[in-house]
Amino acid sequence: MSDSPILLVRNVARGFGGTVVLEDMNLVVERGSIHAVVGESGAGKSTLIRVLAGIVRPDSGTIEFDGKKATISGPNAARKLGIGVVLQQAGLFHERPVLANLFVNREPLRNGLISRREMEARSRDLLRQLGLAVDVHAPLAELGPGERQLVAIARALLENPRLLILDDSHSALDRRETDRLFAVLRGLKAKGMSMLYASNRLEDALAIADQLTVIRNGRDVLSKARQELTTSEEAMIGQLRQSLFPLPLRAMPTLAGTLRPQLAVSRLGGGRLSDASFMARAGEIVGLAGLAGSGVSDLLALLFGAQKARAGRVRFPDGDGLPKTRTEAARRGICMISDERGNGLMQDKSIAFNLANVVVGARDWGSRWYSPVMALGRAARQIEALRIRSAPETPAGSLSAGGQQKVIIAKWLEIGPQVVLLDEPARGIDIGSKQEIYALIRQMAASGCIVLLHSRELSELTGLSDRILAFHQGRLAGEIAGADMDGGRLLQLIAAGEAEGEGRQTSREGIV
Amino acid sequence: MTRTDTAQPLAGSANRRPGRHIRLPAETGAAVGLAVLAGLLGWLQPSFFDPANLSSLLGQAALPGLLAIGMVFVLTMRDIDLSAGAVFHLAGVVAALLMVAGIDPWLAALAGILLGAGLGLINGLLAITLRLPAMVVTLGTWWMIQGLSLAAGKGQTIAPPGADSGFSTTLSGKAFAVVPAACIVFVALALALHVVLHRTRFGYRVQAVGSNRQAAAYAGIPTAKVRLLTLVLMGAMAGLAGVIHVGANGAIAPGDGSSFMLLAIAAAIIGGTSLSGGHGSVVGAAIGILLVQAILSAMSLIGVDAAWSNFATGALTVLALAVDRLFRLWRNRRAGHGEDNLLG
Repeated sequence: MSDSPILLVRNVARGFGGTVVLEDMNLVVERGSIHAVVGESGAGKSTLIRVLAGIVRPDSGTIEFDGKKATISGPNAARKLGIGVVLQQAGLFHERPVLANLFVNREPLRNGLISRREMEARSRDLLRQLGLAVDVHAPLAELGPGERQLVAIARALLENPRLLILDDSHSALDRRETDRLFAVLRGLKAKGMSMLYASNRLEDALAIADQLTVIRNGRDVLSKARQELTTSEEAMIGQLRQSLFPLPLRAMPTLAGTLRPQLAVSRLGGGRLSDASFMARAGEIVGLAGLAGSGVSDLLALLFGAQKARAGRVRFPDGDGLPKTRTEAARRGICMISDERGNGLMQDKSIAFNLANVVVGARDWGSRWYSPVMALGRAARQIEALRIRSAPETPAGSLSAGGQQKVIIAKWLEIGPQVVLLDEPARGIDIGSKQEIYALIRQMAASGCIVLLHSRELSELTGLSDRILAFHQGRLAGEIAGADMDGGRLLQLIAAGEAEGEGRQTSREGIV
Repeated sequence: MTRTDTAQPLAGSANRRPGRHIRLPAETGAAVGLAVLAGLLGWLQPSFFDPANLSSLLGQAALPGLLAIGMVFVLTMRDIDLSAGAVFHLAGVVAALLMVAGIDPWLAALAGILLGAGLGLINGLLAITLRLPAMVVTLGTWWMIQGLSLAAGKGQTIAPPGADSGFSTTLSGKAFAVVPAACIVFVALALALHVVLHRTRFGYRVQAVGSNRQAAAYAGIPTAKVRLLTLVLMGAMAGLAGVIHVGANGAIAPGDGSSFMLLAIAAAIIGGTSLSGGHGSVVGAAIGILLVQAILSAMSLIGVDAAWSNFATGALTVLALAVDRLFRLWRNRRAGHGEDNLLG
């Protein structure tokens, strides 16, 4: 009995409306192992996990848990079985204290009343293990995104589940937080915990998994132990990885030789940023590297007119200084694309409406009136160009994360931007869409935009940028370009604020 | 140099000191406001502290205060109940009519409370089955219930007989010759329900649903049941207030309690309950209603026309909202979330 797998999923199918999301899903999770599920977004990973979490009921198929046939009729049923789930959009309560989040719907009672002391006592060790040093009485909103994700994981672990399911749990975490999380997961495995790990990042899945299942179009196409994966199979899974970063396109011939428009920043200060001077020319992608608090996000906010400058001067290609408001920025062809898709998208409005947003709101688009016909026409054009794979009338919220990000990019392309500010443009997006977005970024640069790219993924910076500016504690710590661009050196710059002669660092990043 | 990399702090927690900083309870603003106002009024108009004035102030605060307690739960759940004032009136009218018909006053009172709870149940069932915000549902039921109580009372004042019955003397009586009975009920319920909101599973669930309804459902909380119970609680509190009104005043007239719904919402907001859901304070609402009533009674003491009282209540609500909002924006900015977070 104890040799039987902890979880067995057989022929599970589930459709929403007309679309079939899970067609014929099979999965076997062995006891005490980490099983990774990889696949592009839209492949059915999230739906599979929601089935196991009891949020979605399968149309057909059987699930066996711990050798017995199980019907997971709701979140409470899943919990009772011993399935702990960490969901992608976390399912947390931002106004509530950390403790209330950790113990939601299973608060310990003493004399019929909820006991905060008991909650503190029960969670203290676990939080220390996870390296989460926060005030547990503070509302969750005061924590950083990485810390919130760890709270979600802590919540699942507090119930001592027999199977822990993580849905892309590190998409909000940076490298170091991911390392920390993986250390915790390996520790749990050593104690005999079984885990199911869904991920968009193949490198991470390969790094931690004992077994691997690849999902495509609602079916499992390959399931193997990690060691048994042949290199050709690995290559097949990682086919996208090789060509993740497209080669630089040649700049448009009109740009070559002529005086190229440029963005000149001199002694700019504001927020945490101080005394930053640099130039960026049309047609180049300038990477901005820096940890949280290094001033990079302040720099982007300043250039977009979302924050006031304290000191310094900026000269944009159109000859003017910093925009005073975001509207002015949009009017002058400065656009900002960030990882917070909620800020750039109206989820319940159609793709066409979203695409028309910036043009109608900030710029003249040829008519005084909003014309649905015109909007649809423009939308169709962008959908075609960016391969968004959806009709213009569908609500933007129904797209996958990658599709939503493409809509945001498309709506800015509509104004013909001069300066493109990118703040983690591909975070939390599946590999396929990532690749397309990288190609778009290249295209924007080649067509004469000034592109500033900020990312916490160092490989993204080294893979895409022509040169990288590294920031450390609000100051420009250095610039690297060409052959010098590697993850180790970059990390050295942003973490310590100084380049170290020729001392080579072992790269912490898997450089592609 | 290479060695320093090993003990990296978790990004995000590195630049913030862990540990507790001082966190003022949500009621602080209202409590300070009440103290300052009372001091000011006592200084300007020493008669403000007369037992008679204080007792009438307490009596006036108790009934809308009961509604405010229920409203805190509803607002915390990110809903709003517009029908509360109408439920108050209908419960009072029905209880009075039953008493006129010769039914034992205590039984009639119980019927009034149950009627209130039943109306809350109807609101809740409509909101759940139609998947609508309670605000939309109660906008309709508000007028229906108001119409019912006008029809039932035929637009006249109803004064049940037997002012010397046990029911009436209990409720119009005063403890220690100063504190009206209604006030004791109000304070006791405020304290009890404060504990319910902050220390019981039901209270935690209400706050969880108000903070993020989907996440609450994913955590296995029966969100529909929680909403239903909260609206029933609101209705029962309104019904109780209506019945007490009949007992304490000996009659119920058309138009009684027409401002209670707004007063209750204002008191809850002044007391630190957030309109965007997620957290609330019952004690804060109790302080809030005292503050509102103190201002209203001060206006009449100073000699401002009573016609201005509605204006003052509304202005106070807007002021409380603005202060709450500005404080939150300031805190967000300090926490480094930037100005972008316009929705709190």
